[in-house]
Amino acid sequence: MRLLSTHRRALSVAAAYGALMLALAVAAPGFYAPANLRDVLVGAAPVLVAAVGMTAVILARQIDISIGSQFAICAVVAGMLARSGLAMPLAAAGAVATGGMLGALNGLLVAVFGLPAIVVTLATMVGLREALRWATEGVWVRDLPAGFQWMGLGQDAGRFAIPAVALAVWAAVAWGMRHLAAGRAVYATGSDAEVARLAGVRPRRVVFGVFVAMGALTGLAALLSAIQFIDVQTSSGVGFELRVIAAVVVGGTSIAGGRGTLVGSLLGVLLLATAGPALTFLGSQAYWDRALQGLIILAAVAADAVGAGKRRAA
Amino acid sequence: MNRLRGWAMLALVVGSAACRGGAGGGGGEQGLTVAMMPKNKGNPYFASCRTGADEAAKELNIRLLWDGPTETDPAKQNEVVDAWITRGVDVIAVSVENKEAISTVLRKARGRGIKVIAWDADAEPDARDYFVNQATPRGIAETLVSHAARLLGGKGEFAVITASLTAANQNEWLRQIRAVLAEKHPDLKLVDVRPSDDDRRRAFEETQTLLKVHPQVKVIMAIASPAVPGAAEAVKQSGRTDVRVTGLGLPNDARPYLKDGVLDSAVLWNTKDLGYLTVHAAHALAKGTLKPGVTSLAAGRLGNVKIEGDQVILGTPFTFTKENVDQFNF
Amino acid sequence: MTYERGLALCLLLEIALFSAIGWNFFTAGNAGEIVRASAEVGLLALALTPVIITGGIDLSVGSLLGLCAVVLGVTWREAGWPLPAAVAAAITAGIAGGGLNALLVARLGIPPLIVTLGTYSLFRGLAEGITAGVKNYSDFPASFLVLGQGAIGPVPSQLFVVGAGALGFWLLVHRMAAGRALRAIGFSPEGSRYAGLAVGRRLGAVYLLSGLCAAVASLLYVARLGQAKADAGTGFELMAVTAVVLGGTSIFGGRGSVGGTLLGLAALAVLQNGLRLADLPAELAGVATAALLLAALGANRVLEGRNRA
Repeated sequence: MRLLSTHRRALSVAAAYGALMLALAVAAPGFYAPANLRDVLVGAAPVLVAAVGMTAVILARQIDISIGSQFAICAVVAGMLARSGLAMPLAAAGAVATGGMLGALNGLLVAVFGLPAIVVTLATMVGLREALRWATEGVWVRDLPAGFQWMGLGQDAGRFAIPAVALAVWAAVAWGMRHLAAGRAVYATGSDAEVARLAGVRPRRVVFGVFVAMGALTGLAALLSAIQFIDVQTSSGVGFELRVIAAVVVGGTSIAGGRGTLVGSLLGVLLLATAGPALTFLGSQAYWDRALQGLIILAAVAADAVGAGKRRAA
Repeated sequence: MNRLRGWAMLALVVGSAACRGGAGGGGGEQGLTVAMMPKNKGNPYFASCRTGADEAAKELNIRLLWDGPTETDPAKQNEVVDAWITRGVDVIAVSVENKEAISTVLRKARGRGIKVIAWDADAEPDARDYFVNQATPRGIAETLVSHAARLLGGKGEFAVITASLTAANQNEWLRQIRAVLAEKHPDLKLVDVRPSDDDRRRAFEETQTLLKVHPQVKVIMAIASPAVPGAAEAVKQSGRTDVRVTGLGLPNDARPYLKDGVLDSAVLWNTKDLGYLTVHAAHALAKGTLKPGVTSLAAGRLGNVKIEGDQVILGTPFTFTKENVDQFNF
Repeated sequence: MTYERGLALCLLLEIALFSAIGWNFFTAGNAGEIVRASAEVGLLALALTPVIITGGIDLSVGSLLGLCAVVLGVTWREAGWPLPAAVAAAITAGIAGGGLNALLVARLGIPPLIVTLGTYSLFRGLAEGITAGVKNYSDFPASFLVLGQGAIGPVPSQLFVVGAGALGFWLLVHRMAAGRALRAIGFSPEGSRYAGLAVGRRLGAVYLLSGLCAAVASLLYVARLGQAKADAGTGFELMAVTAVVLGGTSIFGGRGSVGGTLLGLAALAVLQNGLRLADLPAELAGVATAALLLAALGANRVLEGRNRA
């Protein structure tokens, strides 16, 4: 029974997801072609990786709206390192490290200087993106070595590896959140930082840590996205933070901190990743996409609130 | 202490204002000041236009101001033009994102004696002195449709990947494409139009979905420059050798896919020359050599450029193919 | 040295700097242009001030502006309504949008960040859907355009609207009991409830007000640009939030001032305008805004610490 209540939101998202899949099976079975499912998963992989990080951030009662700009910078770094002749694994590590450093900047401002996360990341979001634009003038990073696309693994292996890596990261962090002290520390900090401190957790370290982790995971997400192509667009990742936060919130993580699961986030990512192509399969016109996505987010959170209210009244 | 600081500040402000107040106006030094604005600054298309503009500015000893919105916010273009009016420049040259909105402020500029040129995308005719046109929307549409028709053998279905749904240029081209289809190619069908929001990844994903939702579509027409490599990569990864891509794109973006064969053709014009010509036209306009009735303009290394009415024509759309793409680098 | 005095000083420094390096910065005409360009964001920032004071946020204001603009265009052009009726329709749309936010936040108790993230997409999406992204309504009569393009001498017409709004919000936040109630709610919603405040109703009211301001801002926007299109107001919510936070209002709620918001707005608008007139690129404005915001946060923190000690 406790399992049921902890995963209450996850269950309702799963139900909504099931309903969508059913509608597709009836009205547009073409969606289930293996090639399509694979493409949806490959496309969702970067979002999943970032959602893992964002779950931890929101659990710790913080938020990070700068990940779109971090994404763009890390992708450009990966491209430039590859172009300069560095071996791909090192270029990849460079991208992840860059993400970590950008995350550390946020972490420093929030954890050490005590500034509010939403405003700090608003500032870094704007500042980083404009700085990148200024430096690159929108020119893509081209003439990359052949080993850049798919990290040299080739298309089939690459399209398998990308979702596999994302799932592996998800599984590792999901396990860690439950079984490692660090994971519990995140939940504790998000529930009540003062109590956590008295219990021996170092909230400031936890907060710093989640921002660094968020940055590093964003770097990984940027890498997974960039290696699907042969060059790097310098203005990528616009609106990325919205997609990731929406997925995490729809998946049941509470914005007030302390409550939420990675299972929910996975389902949230899958639901939102499927919704886009599903609408196209169901014949919806492109110009209703954004409205429908907004409705999905609102429906998910409203249903939960109504359900919680009913339970409270009962 | 605070009050003292306050007065000191005020004195500084007034003093500096007094010193600077008179030094307004356009090219106070020798040479003209030309203010040039792309639709938005984060776009490689406009970055290449700028190299041409810089080249011409250096040749003609013009002070070139290059600025514009970094996002596609329609209000921002107006604000930049307003700032230039306040600043005082000799010529304003704008690649128009929103025809109706920008015309309001361009008319104001003309009213203040500033010369106005539209380039790349036109404003309303009474809001600018000249329009530097690389190709008419109709000409672009006809070229694109002719490629699609050729690839489909005159009959079949194709889909379009556009920029954002609100992009004015693309919407104008779509209008013309539909007109050309109705008039000349009744057997060609445009099945769907999906947005890419100028994001290569989005174009990629939309194309992937399109190929599956409409398996009978054999041509993808990408009419935004980041959409060309995005759509081409999607077709390539899908393994659908029966589908080809065409569209509007930069040769550097198009090259690997042209060589592959996935991309059949990329239509564009020489963006560097467009920027170059615009600055030359601005110069001639300010000096008075470009005025109503003139039918040709001497534009530096471009030679004599044709003028039709109030349009300075760069030329017709150019098609990049596997054979000729290596001659270009932009 | 209070935060607001520091901000005012910063503003003066900016003015001094740009008077020196900017062409024709320190002129009446330019001052008018600054007001004109920042009027819509200003209204949104004013509306966001009480929202943020209650500890909430409204990220949907820019999108709602776009939706109201589209409603104006559609009812006037497509449905053929007389312009005053179309204006009323736009205002109704704004109140309805604000009402949706109010319902979800105040009634269902969903955190405002998430609600307004959802309505941010929903409102913009409705605007895009209604116009298929393509439609653009223009050719408004001159009597309407004067709202955004008219002036009395060097004073732009927007100043009257924004001025009225500023006065109204100042009264609400600083002179009425309602304002105290908002601060109490921001400080502790539960405590306020126990103290007998109608928390739900007050919260709902600020979001409704926010929607109304988005509608009025949409009128100014359409009149200024002369067109009504689905992408109206893109990015305005971030600018508005930045202005409010810059003005010293705490994002956590419980504390804030309308005067501060106006100063913050001025600081941002002057920064953008001045950099342009100094022939500096637009990207620099973005980086400078970010730096200014962080500096303001830091200064606020330091002053807080000093005042407490």
